[in-house]
Amino acid sequence: MPESQGKVEELVVLTDVVLITCIVQRGKAEEVIQAARLAGAQGATVFYAHGSGVRQRHLGVLAITVSAEKEVIYIVAASDQADRIFAKIHAAAHLDTPGMGMAYMTPLEKMATYVPPEIVERFAG
Amino acid sequence: MTRKIRYGDYLGRVRVQQRVISYNEVTAWDRKHRRRPRLRPRDIHRLVAPYLSSRFLDQFRAVIPVTLFLVSFQVLVLKSGVSDVAAIGLGIVGVMLGLMFFMEGLKHGLMPFSENIGHLMPGRTSYSAVLAVAFILGAAATFAEPAIGALKSVGSLTDPESAAWLSFLLNQRSEQVVVAVAVSVGLAVLVSMLRFMQGWAMKPVVLIVTLACLALTWYLASDPALAPIIGLAWDCGAITTGPVTVPIVLALGVGVSAAAGREDNPLAGFGIVTLASLFPPLAVMALGVYTAETADLGQFATPAAAAGPGDGGLWGGALNALRAIVPLAALLWLIQRVWLREPLRHANLIGYGILLCVLGMAAFNMGLDAGLSALGMQVGDLLSTAFSGDESLYPYWAGLGIALAFALLLGFGATIAEPALNALGMTVQNLTDGAFRKQTLIRAVALGVGIGTALGMAKVIFDLPLAWLLIPGYLLALVLTILSSEEYVNLAWDSAGVTTGPVTVPLVLAMGLGLGRAVDAHEGFGILAMASVGPIVSVLAVGLWLQVRARFLRFQFVRMMRNV
Repeated sequence: MPESQGKVEELVVLTDVVLITCIVQRGKAEEVIQAARLAGAQGATVFYAHGSGVRQRHLGVLAITVSAEKEVIYIVAASDQADRIFAKIHAAAHLDTPGMGMAYMTPLEKMATYVPPEIVERFAG
Repeated sequence: MTRKIRYGDYLGRVRVQQRVISYNEVTAWDRKHRRRPRLRPRDIHRLVAPYLSSRFLDQFRAVIPVTLFLVSFQVLVLKSGVSDVAAIGLGIVGVMLGLMFFMEGLKHGLMPFSENIGHLMPGRTSYSAVLAVAFILGAAATFAEPAIGALKSVGSLTDPESAAWLSFLLNQRSEQVVVAVAVSVGLAVLVSMLRFMQGWAMKPVVLIVTLACLALTWYLASDPALAPIIGLAWDCGAITTGPVTVPIVLALGVGVSAAAGREDNPLAGFGIVTLASLFPPLAVMALGVYTAETADLGQFATPAAAAGPGDGGLWGGALNALRAIVPLAALLWLIQRVWLREPLRHANLIGYGILLCVLGMAAFNMGLDAGLSALGMQVGDLLSTAFSGDESLYPYWAGLGIALAFALLLGFGATIAEPALNALGMTVQNLTDGAFRKQTLIRAVALGVGIGTALGMAKVIFDLPLAWLLIPGYLLALVLTILSSEEYVNLAWDSAGVTTGPVTVPLVLAMGLGLGRAVDAHEGFGILAMASVGPIVSVLAVGLWLQVRARFLRFQFVRMMRNV
């Protein structure tokens, strides 16, 4: 921050955040996001992708029912809630069936977004 | 008094139990035991159910609204029950299942070939080879077109007395008609490829071809024995541009125009559909003239009444489907494997796709005869009771109005639901930077088709010569074409081909023939032809209006600036 401007801008950063990534077939993201929201997720980002993994080997003839067109869902969650959201996503996306996709969770060092001023007042020590 | 529990602690209590396994162990184990895990019934359901239901629903949405509209019109307005409900219901289910399998098969079995060929061919072979392949593929795809079967099955419905040559062509020479159509589509694709490579504009090509068509129409119209062929010929143009030809040929066109160095042109691929629907009328009319010169009607005293629709039932349908799909697939494979020397990937999937194509086409053909054609014919037959005869349901003019309003609604409704049109609308909205909105295009096309259908219906009811309607219609379209800019010309002429899908075509065709028979018209062709001119005129008119409005706004703006 250049000192000449006179005022030091404050950056509010959140910690204890995890990223949950879930990869499902195209068109299934809506259900997954719905489940994640009910479990406390604030929002989700979806993008389109293309890829395939286990389907050819594990499904045999049924492999044709699995589309290689995928949706990738990013959900950033508080680490306390993350496990619950993760479990709900697992159930909503039917991840226990082969070919349905996968989900993984990664710790994030920090995250920045809009944080209401009164919250900043209260928690920023 | 409140007790405070930290929410995180609470969630930690209720969280699902997890069992942790190291992925390293899994992969190590996996390398030793190559075995396929057993799927639970639940898994199979989860895999298969969405796969089937989404594809079935697509076809359901295309078929059921139009069918319901027809049935409710028949019951409520024409006050008549639907006969053969069971057969028609089964037939419609057959059409839906058939289309579903066919589309899926097309995606897996045939599209990979044409995409590969379109991309690879211009780089690996010579200029003339590209043109040859374009011609052969266009012709072969036409044979595989599901609606082409409808053409053969309606032959028995024409009146051999009043429309002798038409009846002769459809009953005795139906193979030649199909070949003529296929060759002309091949030629159309060839000319389009030439156009892409040379960078010719669409306008002059459209002008020349349409004028040739109109001249031949004029010639046929002047001879009362040949005039009935005009309707068949122009309807063929609408029939050919269906779900097989359009994607295969478009994939080819996009590849070629990309290779011709015009990759940035957003209109790449446009115009093929137009030519593919203008060449067949030309070819069929020429065939008509040629047949009239050479063949002898004397041999054709008794039309083969036995050659009714659906020759051979289940096996016949399957055999026809085999004959349509397998040569096309073999041809595509030969071109890719032998000529372009590109290895075949996912052979199992392609085999599965081709199998589905054949099954789907067989089911579609059977369903077409028993379901859609039968229903369309019934409505057409009954439609005349609304206004003609001693026991007409309504006063003459009211009944006539009802019949025409029905045609307008049918054309409008069937078009507005067409998925191909929706896709075209998106493209157009992007191309014109939002000046031509998607909804505007869809409505313009649907209105054009509706008015065209109503005009075609009026032609059948009053037994007007089709040339009287077609020639002014296309002349109007030509005048508008000269006035419009190149983009709108491409767009308007292509939208006519896109609108006539595999559900609308047999339905409207059968309805026209049924109506024609009921009102003792010479023949019931021509409704599809009119439904193709309609959108050309309406889209061009809307395009011109948008241009004029833009100019007017600019003029006002300039004047305002001057005043300031």
